Amino acid sequence: MSIELQNIKPTYMSDAEISASDIYLQENVLFEKGKKYLIKANSGHGKTSILNFIYGNNTNFNGRISYNGVFRKDVFDLRKSNISYVFQDFKLFPSLTVFENIQLKNTLTNHKTVKEIEGLIEEVLLGHKKDSLVSKLSLGQKQRVAILRALCQPFEYLLLDEPFSHLDKKNIEIVTNIIVQEVDKQNSSLIMTSLDATDVLTFDKVLNL
Amino acid sequence: MLFKLQKRTLVVSQIIGYALTIFVGVTIILVTSQFYFDIKPLMSEQTDIFKNKAAVITKNISVFKTINKEKIYFTDKEINDLKSQSFTKSVSKFNTATFKINAYSNKTESVPVYYTDLFFESIPDEYLDVETEDWKWDVSLDFIPIIIPENYLNLYNFGFAESQKLPVVSKNTISQIEFNIQISGNNKSKDYKSKIVGFSNKVNSILVPEEFLFWANNEFGRLNNSKTSRVLIEFNNPSDQTILEYFNENNYSINKDELEFSKLIFFFKSALIFVFFIALVIIGLSIAFILLSLDLIIQRNKELLLNLYNIGYKHNRIAKFYQVLISATTVISIVASLVISNIIRNSYLVEISQLFEFTGNKNYILIFGISFILALTIVYNVLIVKSIKKIVIPRNEK
Repeated sequence: MSIELQNIKPTYMSDAEISASDIYLQENVLFEKGKKYLIKANSGHGKTSILNFIYGNNTNFNGRISYNGVFRKDVFDLRKSNISYVFQDFKLFPSLTVFENIQLKNTLTNHKTVKEIEGLIEEVLLGHKKDSLVSKLSLGQKQRVAILRALCQPFEYLLLDEPFSHLDKKNIEIVTNIIVQEVDKQNSSLIMTSLDATDVLTFDKVLNL
Repeated sequence: MLFKLQKRTLVVSQIIGYALTIFVGVTIILVTSQFYFDIKPLMSEQTDIFKNKAAVITKNISVFKTINKEKIYFTDKEINDLKSQSFTKSVSKFNTATFKINAYSNKTESVPVYYTDLFFESIPDEYLDVETEDWKWDVSLDFIPIIIPENYLNLYNFGFAESQKLPVVSKNTISQIEFNIQISGNNKSKDYKSKIVGFSNKVNSILVPEEFLFWANNEFGRLNNSKTSRVLIEFNNPSDQTILEYFNENNYSINKDELEFSKLIFFFKSALIFVFFIALVIIGLSIAFILLSLDLIIQRNKELLLNLYNIGYKHNRIAKFYQVLISATTVISIVASLVISNIIRNSYLVEISQLFEFTGNKNYILIFGISFILALTIVYNVLIVKSIKKIVIPRNEK
């Protein structure tokens, strides 16, 4: 699958607010399969909006997006097996435990076994928090849970919205390794947003928003 | 996991409140409707003689009238005047036999030998309170069916038989006894076999089929037309105040009990309808209550539901929990209503059957209950999916 953005502009942003951008109002922005992209911009420039447009949970934009050559706005059916998303605000369920939050997603696709999930939790150093309620976790711990949850499904595109904003260097390294392994395993693309350039990953293309 | 998550969104007291109110509402509806169907035959049996609120009217007999008997008859003008009243629906005359009638038993029969003078009257069949297959007459048959007032039987059993040490007789026994009727007039006479085929609670007369009386009056009757001393009047509304005023003015006598009974039935039906509507209001309110509660739950947990949608749960699947919960609560409540309604029905059937000959009607409770379950679950399932969809799917994506 490939994703193509054509003349995209959020309806809630005026032309004046949009300065020179590699994405906004560009005739053709292509995200190819198997490549890694970084979308870079300062706060308030719409990094989250771009990912939400692609994921289909914000449709307030002009222009159009095609998925494998088909222009569409309702992309719900792609969320189970084509596009996975690490939300900036995590979108976790505080009343469920770490394991339950991950399993809630995994039961939709049965992508990973219980053992694999438990292994991943151990890897991100949350083994001792496996049965703790998410409401009791720190932001950094929640961020790691959100990342693991996003990996528990088949995907062709992994969207990451400032995924390391609450993590220290050591944890960033651990999490990055897991992400890259899964992306490579599934031969999929990665689109990540960040405030500035980052050296934790090697990107095929960096786009300034 | 999804169950655990969504279970926490519920307010148990709201679900219990709904279950109780729908149970009470449906139980009242089921019991009142079934009660109405059960006692309908009983009410019509009691009132069919004077179907749709009717009564017998005569003129008051005074000392003066015993001298001048003509005064007890209704003139055509008076009958037309009655017909023209706003409270009158229809007026029917009692027809009287204008020939001589004797009843006698055969010597060979096991009943005491008797020979007595009789009189016959007739009213249109539609006003009869007795339903019997034997109530038919044909000129080719030498048989006349007779209906007598139930009071006559009581008078015999509890008065005459008691004082004269005669055996008492049941309705069944007396209906088995065949006797002879001789009618004569116009220098002719004819003998008939006869039986009592029914007992009337409302008409205080010895009744024969109207067809027979017309024929016999023609064959054996005096030439002058039979006069009308009693009329049946059917009312539009028996509780109309002007009825009694009119009768007092004209010095007519009316059997007020009959009117009272009709009024009683009217009030009883009104009360039943009132209770039925109150129950409908309860059900309506409980439906509104649970829909509002659900809406509140959905609004309060909007973010949670939206997050579920965001991680890939379809709105149908998110709605399923609430659909199953509300449907199951409704089914359990209505099944409980079905059980309780049947228990109540059985107990009132026992009570009523002790007072009247009564078997009840077909049991509609199950049919009504299942209809309620189907109607409510369909409405809930559609509305719940609609509400969840409205919350989770962005407007221009629909």
